[in-house]
Amino acid sequence: MRLRLEKRYTKPQNEQLLIAVISFGLALLVGSIIFLIYGANPFLAYGVMFQGAFGSSLGFTEVIVKAIPLMLTGLAVAIAATMLLWNIGCEGQFVFGALGATWAALYLTPDWPSYSVLPALIICGAAAGMLWALIPAILKAHFQVSEILTTLLLNYVAIIIMDHLYFGPWRDPDGMGFPGSALFPDAAALPRFFDSRIHLGLFLAIAATIVLHILLRHSKWGFRIRVIGKGPMAAQYAGMKVNREIIRVMLISGALAGLAGMSEVAGIHLRLQEGLSVGYGYDGIIVACLAGFRPKMVPIFALVLGGLIIGGEQLQSSMHLPASIVQVLEGALLLGFLASEALLRFRLRIITSSSPSPSTNNA
Amino acid sequence: MTQNPAATPLLACRGVEKRFGPVIANKDINLEVFPGEILAILGENGAGKSTLMSIIAGRYRPDAGSIEINGKASLFVSPAKALSLGVGMVYQRFMLMDTLTVAENILLAADACGRSVSLRAIKKEINLLANRYGLEIDADRQAGSLSMGERQRAEILKLLVQSARLLIFDEPTAVLAPPDVERFFQVVSRLKEDGCGIIFITHKLEEVLKIADRIAILRKGRIITQTTLDRVSSKRDLARLMVGREVVLRVDKPTIATKDTVLEVCGLTGPKGSMQPAFTDISFNVCRGEILSIIGVAGNGQASLCKTINAQTTGQNGTIQFLGNSFDAATWATRRQSEIAYVPEDRHHAGSVAGMDLAENFLLTRLEQSGNSFWLQHARMESDIQTAVQEYSIVTHSSRTLAGQLSGGNLQKLILARELAKNPALFIAEQPTQGLDISATEEVWQAILAQRQFSAVLLFTGDLKEALSLSDRIAVMFSGRIIEIINAGDADSVGRIGLLMAGAGG
Repeated sequence: MRLRLEKRYTKPQNEQLLIAVISFGLALLVGSIIFLIYGANPFLAYGVMFQGAFGSSLGFTEVIVKAIPLMLTGLAVAIAATMLLWNIGCEGQFVFGALGATWAALYLTPDWPSYSVLPALIICGAAAGMLWALIPAILKAHFQVSEILTTLLLNYVAIIIMDHLYFGPWRDPDGMGFPGSALFPDAAALPRFFDSRIHLGLFLAIAATIVLHILLRHSKWGFRIRVIGKGPMAAQYAGMKVNREIIRVMLISGALAGLAGMSEVAGIHLRLQEGLSVGYGYDGIIVACLAGFRPKMVPIFALVLGGLIIGGEQLQSSMHLPASIVQVLEGALLLGFLASEALLRFRLRIITSSSPSPSTNNA
Repeated sequence: MTQNPAATPLLACRGVEKRFGPVIANKDINLEVFPGEILAILGENGAGKSTLMSIIAGRYRPDAGSIEINGKASLFVSPAKALSLGVGMVYQRFMLMDTLTVAENILLAADACGRSVSLRAIKKEINLLANRYGLEIDADRQAGSLSMGERQRAEILKLLVQSARLLIFDEPTAVLAPPDVERFFQVVSRLKEDGCGIIFITHKLEEVLKIADRIAILRKGRIITQTTLDRVSSKRDLARLMVGREVVLRVDKPTIATKDTVLEVCGLTGPKGSMQPAFTDISFNVCRGEILSIIGVAGNGQASLCKTINAQTTGQNGTIQFLGNSFDAATWATRRQSEIAYVPEDRHHAGSVAGMDLAENFLLTRLEQSGNSFWLQHARMESDIQTAVQEYSIVTHSSRTLAGQLSGGNLQKLILARELAKNPALFIAEQPTQGLDISATEEVWQAILAQRQFSAVLLFTGDLKEALSLSDRIAVMFSGRIIEIINAGDADSVGRIGLLMAGAGG
């Protein structure tokens, strides 16, 4: 009797569930090793993380606060990936969304009636994100430049532009020299709910999830996007205008990431400052992958990742372990996702000497 | 025949079998190649030729059967291992690193086979071999700057430097210009004189007659005929062996009167490319009520012509009249005619989306016809697919089944049903029954015949039986031109089609 790896020719049932289980299993395993290296009991550490994230209402509301930008960037990555576009640039579009919102709050709307301020912020945030996504979209559609490279590299450009603005022209004159913009006026702060830091962004993110789900499943446009992603040759045969959709989808993706940036700056920080860009754009990639690029699954995995982040902060405060372990866990999650994709292409078979030839068995 | 019957074959395949999942690529392959012998492998697209060669060259492992080299059973785990035992393959798409020089490429291959030699020593070997076999090449040139002929020579040298004794070529002349083809033949005959064994896959019958000693014909993964060249008297024999017996299946085909001309192509030439256009000066017309077949051995320009007529590539210099409107080749390519329905050759990737369900696949090309609504009409999609499933007896569990789970025949019926549902003025089918079993083939044929009532039908096929069973007229393509358009009722002319396909009708 021996074990043998065989290629699968059909997808396993519950593929998404298996992927999630393998990814998390691997991440937890990697995390355990690190905890052991630090001399901590992994069970205790995971217990502390779980308790910190989901054990109190304060912790849980903070998980939701983290999940808001993660949902939006996760959706942004997922919609692009539906047609095989890899938007690694959500971080930059997030930053631009924050810039758009800041500009609207501090320079566009101070004299506007208060009911019109938030809509202006939302529109400016989304538009700025779109603008930043437009560059890679045009390069991809008209010059076949890989969007993976352009979106990624433009992240750094966006962050430098933001740094320049809050160190320079947008620096708060009354800020005693600290880098950062002036505080947003009250009318430009997103309303908060449930006696917590949960803000209007949550409802924007939920609405975006529902709208995207419906568009992808039930509209002809969504149908085209799915065909382009799942059968590029078939899309060409059916005469679909792929370039036009590349631009559209990248714009939508950029708008979602821009909304994330807007909601973060107008919901939490209330000024443009350092510490705004902490990797929500990259975390969105993990969320989207774990969700299998299906919008309706994005909120669940955004909560999971948000829980991981808040749990990690708890590690630091109560066990004096570095919170950056969370980043290792996130990385392990993504690698686990990639590994499970590969693993699921194979199946393990136990071969006994009396087994028939493997080629007669294609289950 | 040059070999001594008692000699040990260079290569012997015994009962070789290869499956990819449920698909049988090769079965019961028994094949021998002796030193100093040239074996030609013939067969339609998808007959399993390339898979078989890849098994022999160590790229795939057979699921059953054995391969013997010089009488010893050998299991190749990689192309490098095969090459170190003297078996090498030149793939149809050359496998050179563009940024390295010829010598470096060859060194890389030597390295992979576990030989450590210096670049200088390799160059010496290259020059020696190049002189001996007429494979002149500048070993210091970058592979990326080589012409197709030079690339091929570099590939051959790569094998010879590893002392390959059995060389396999996958359609070696397909990408070569005529003078390079001549040179290639000279090289091959010198290799033969030196006692090397050669296997080559080809579609070109005149090449077979020119250099092969023996022929093996594959169909559906099996070798159906093996014969020596002295038993084949003419191209015509060979054509018949290759395309099968010229027997027309009895298809019930009522005669109907032809009506208006739907498509008229005049002097159309293929897209500009690095080589000469795939087809030249094509003219034909097709009327409502008739089926015009365009037939030819693979690689004679039909596939490219089909693409151009379907506005997927831009032809040059010709005019196309469609439903009374005249277009030049360039404008034609920019218009998408809703009155044309097209069943593409690649039903798995182009004709359908494997990861989407049947109802969605049924909508693939019918989005425009499905009304102006922004939303998908799920109820209507469902009733459409149900009707199609019944009308075309597509075997499936439900409309939610993924297209990738359908068998080839059922998938083809789905695509056919979808395209015919558009009620087109011109219906184009490309290799519509390739790889289908007999019952599915007959169903597809019946559907195409029935559509004659409403459409002009243009059938691109490499299958003579299919052309004869369905067509009213048959246009034979060879070497990018339509050699002759034959009336299917004309028994004398029909007999010549095999010959024309082989380019011997002139």
